[in-house]
Amino acid sequence: MEAHPSHAELSHVLPKYPKTAGSLLQTYNDLKLAQQWEALEVLDVPSCARGAVKGRRPNTEDTLFVVPCSLAESLNISWFHQAFHDLGKPPHVYLAINADDSNIVYYKLSPGIVKPAV
Amino acid sequence: MSLIGPSQPRKPSGKGGAHRAENNRIYANPLPLLFITPGNTRYISPHRVLGLFGLSGVRIENPHCEGVLDPATRSVWITNSKDAMILWRRGFFGKGDLSRSEPSWYTRQVNARKAAGKYLTSEEIREKRRKERQQFKLDRSKALAEAAAEKEAAFAEGREASTVAIPSGATWKPQPAEGLSLPSVHPEQGIPEEDPIEEDPVEEVEHLQLTLQEAFFLLWNLDCLTVLDSVTDEAMGLKSIWSAFKRVYHPPGIAPNLSSTYDGRFDNPFLVHYAAYHYYRSLGWVVKGGIKFCVDYLLYKRGPVFAHAEFAIVVLPVYEDPEDQKTSPFDLNNASPFSWTWLSTINRVNSQVQKTLILTYVTIPARSRVNPEVLSSPAALSHYSVREVVLRRFIPARMRD
Repeated sequence: MEAHPSHAELSHVLPKYPKTAGSLLQTYNDLKLAQQWEALEVLDVPSCARGAVKGRRPNTEDTLFVVPCSLAESLNISWFHQAFHDLGKPPHVYLAINADDSNIVYYKLSPGIVKPAV
Repeated sequence: MSLIGPSQPRKPSGKGGAHRAENNRIYANPLPLLFITPGNTRYISPHRVLGLFGLSGVRIENPHCEGVLDPATRSVWITNSKDAMILWRRGFFGKGDLSRSEPSWYTRQVNARKAAGKYLTSEEIREKRRKERQQFKLDRSKALAEAAAEKEAAFAEGREASTVAIPSGATWKPQPAEGLSLPSVHPEQGIPEEDPIEEDPVEEVEHLQLTLQEAFFLLWNLDCLTVLDSVTDEAMGLKSIWSAFKRVYHPPGIAPNLSSTYDGRFDNPFLVHYAAYHYYRSLGWVVKGGIKFCVDYLLYKRGPVFAHAEFAIVVLPVYEDPEDQKTSPFDLNNASPFSWTWLSTINRVNSQVQKTLILTYVTIPARSRVNPEVLSSPAALSHYSVREVVLRRFIPARMRD
């Protein structure tokens, strides 16, 4: 993992939270290289004991937040409220669920009821 | 997979004979090992003489692939692209970490730069399909809004509303937009921000990621994979790989005096999942991850490129001794009795995509009956048993015959 070029950008957060290091690295790589997000920044979210990623989708203006987690973890709503709060209460947050085979499933979570766009 | 889609004109080398023949040629070998029968059966050859004695002159060609264990992501990384291709093409092992299936990130970057990609990768086809579906949804919502406005106007005037055609998935056709079948990424947008003009040579940063179960299957049963330690870069022997793979599921950075609570446990998630993986692989199925369908594994008859998965596997560990579950440091998924709503949800999701749900019960041996000492070698796996229960929804009103 250390040999991966992205490790340098994550080095300030990865050693702090070894349990979620793998999912953070996978999510960051996917967003940066595969999804080609722009202006990527890694944030430290101590209340959730992990790092989060902030960035923009290509050719858009909105900043989006992605919180990585692994399939093996159990999460609950209060954890999520805390995450929302610490990230500055954005309208929605993406949860990136990582599997061992490097599949990532993104879920869009918003506080309250949101009507679908179309 | 949605059944609705715009009908496409048949391309000459589409999913017709040529494409299928090509796939049959590329993916001809079901396992990384090749069995070479020496040809030339006309003359008396050592191969035929051996055959008379009941011995086979078949030579086994072993690709000897190499990978690195990464405990953080719980996987084995294959960085050599030749090995990655071999493992993907002979048995569909692993997944490119920046791609849907086959490592194709490099090809996509090159395609994006040239913007003349003649062969669209599967990700690009997926993007195209998503854009078309998005357009269809926009057209449909516009038509619905028009119909509603028309009805309002008609009601206000007291006349009959004239019908507005609302596109349905089967009848809607995508409008030919600018550009034909090229990927919709413009050259400037495809290249990272730092060099909009110059072509910086693209460096391959993708690797093939094998799950621990796939890696262990390859190295233990076929002996075609060498796993290097991530820190020392040395090849690991079977014994050290066995304990390292189990240790991946221990909490990282644990104190040595506490690690004994995690050792010698039969309910290590690696063992439980490996039992199920080995069971289906040895029966000839191609086993891939099933996170996209809320299940543990998907079973393909020949491979993902040939047909969609027919079966969705959920691994349900069962403790032979309930006491083991109480003292377990691992929080195994689905080890407790599940709720009806959970089962119903998963079954619904999979019936929508025409997959049959299979509940795979893996029995975890009791520590009281089987000595935990056996866990020092893979022979411990013989103590696990696997049973399956196939689930189909029965609707009495419709299924009368």
